[in-house]
Amino acid sequence: MSRRFGPLFGASLAATAAAFAYALALIFLAAPEERVMGAVQKIFYVHVPIALSTFVAVFVLLVGALGYLATRQPVWDRLAVATCEVGWLFCTLVLVTGPIWAKPAWGVWWTWEAKITTTLVLWLLLAGILLARGYASTPEQGARIGAVLGVVAALDVPIVYKAVDWWRGQHPIVFGPGRGNPLAPGMGAALAASTVAVLLLFALLVMLRMRLAALEDALVAAEEAASRSS
Amino acid sequence: MSFLRAALAIAAKDLRIEGKTLRTAASTGLFALVVIVVFAFAFDLDTVRRLGAPRVVPGILWVTLAFSAIVAFSRSFEIERQRDALTALALAPVDRGAVFAGKCLSNLALLFGLEVVLVPLTLVFFDAADDVSVPALAGVLALHTLGLAELGTLLGAVASRLARGEALLAVLFLPAATPLLLAAVQCTRGAIEGSMGAAEARWMLVTAGCDVLYFLIALLVFETVLEEG
Repeated sequence: MSRRFGPLFGASLAATAAAFAYALALIFLAAPEERVMGAVQKIFYVHVPIALSTFVAVFVLLVGALGYLATRQPVWDRLAVATCEVGWLFCTLVLVTGPIWAKPAWGVWWTWEAKITTTLVLWLLLAGILLARGYASTPEQGARIGAVLGVVAALDVPIVYKAVDWWRGQHPIVFGPGRGNPLAPGMGAALAASTVAVLLLFALLVMLRMRLAALEDALVAAEEAASRSS
Repeated sequence: MSFLRAALAIAAKDLRIEGKTLRTAASTGLFALVVIVVFAFAFDLDTVRRLGAPRVVPGILWVTLAFSAIVAFSRSFEIERQRDALTALALAPVDRGAVFAGKCLSNLALLFGLEVVLVPLTLVFFDAADDVSVPALAGVLALHTLGLAELGTLLGAVASRLARGEALLAVLFLPAATPLLLAAVQCTRGAIEGSMGAAEARWMLVTAGCDVLYFLIALLVFETVLEEG
């Protein structure tokens, strides 16, 4: 484990910054203003990619948790804890950007619609995992508990979505089978660029958090070695 | 020892302890009663009648059941913590899945016992007993309580491994139980109205799927939960 940031990190940082600059230029300069909603609709280009990244995070969390349960290698736990924390952060951003758009567009800050409710339940599940990890008495116990709860949460989320969807509905469905492409030409490009930028940012933050976890482990190991030799 | 016999032995042990002390039944039952009374203050009978009992009572019933179940789940592993009985259970030469199944069975039996008292009482308190289809309601309760018991047993075991983890159980359990609680409320409405239709059948199917999924997850991870350290 190197102490300095490697060239991979520098390259990802540069790529993320460039992608964001390009995406912002497309969003505010190239993409046409939406006819009914006006400038408010621009938040769609941030909201949708962040929501997408949140659900990518849940999937990677499942992979990390199952990987840790199967192999007990710390690297899988670092992946799980990183995606859990960054996923929780992104989930928070989804829940913040959504209402900012919903108030002018729907007239209410909040509705108990399927995607919103699922995102809130996911936020609670991820917060529960982070809280439980904080209660653990050893890092290994935290990793095991985190992996178990990660599997439960990740597999529960699709069921929560289906259940709330039957219970309620009304989220704007922009993409879906048989709908064609509803976006004006400039809008699609801006959304695509923004999605790439946000996913890169997500990957970058996960990498940083994993590196931090590795440093924490190294520190604990060094302290143990020091206390044994003294 | 076969899986089923081991599970039954563990469940019988729990129920024997419970039969001698009645501590879980007493604390869970009293807590449930308190919650029902609080609901009666929050929504007085006029409000319930105006909205229609089938729209309000299922929610009251399942929130009460879920809250009291949390009390039962944390008690279930508290008795294993005394004199470190959980370590002995973990050392027993049986499948870890059987340990889970046994704890789950005893929790399920306790919750069924609670429901036998609580459900008629709730229907009477909120004047919702007139059109109830008893077999339908029994089926709804059985299927959804099974799911809650599985999830609660798994998460109760997780919480019991953590210092001061009892406080955490509600935070872990209630969000994870969202699909079960939604389905339970929908199906219970049908049972109270005395008409189970296609919508309720679909919800029952969701719950049956959850029951199977939670059991499989528990079999997969319970060994990890029981590990020492």
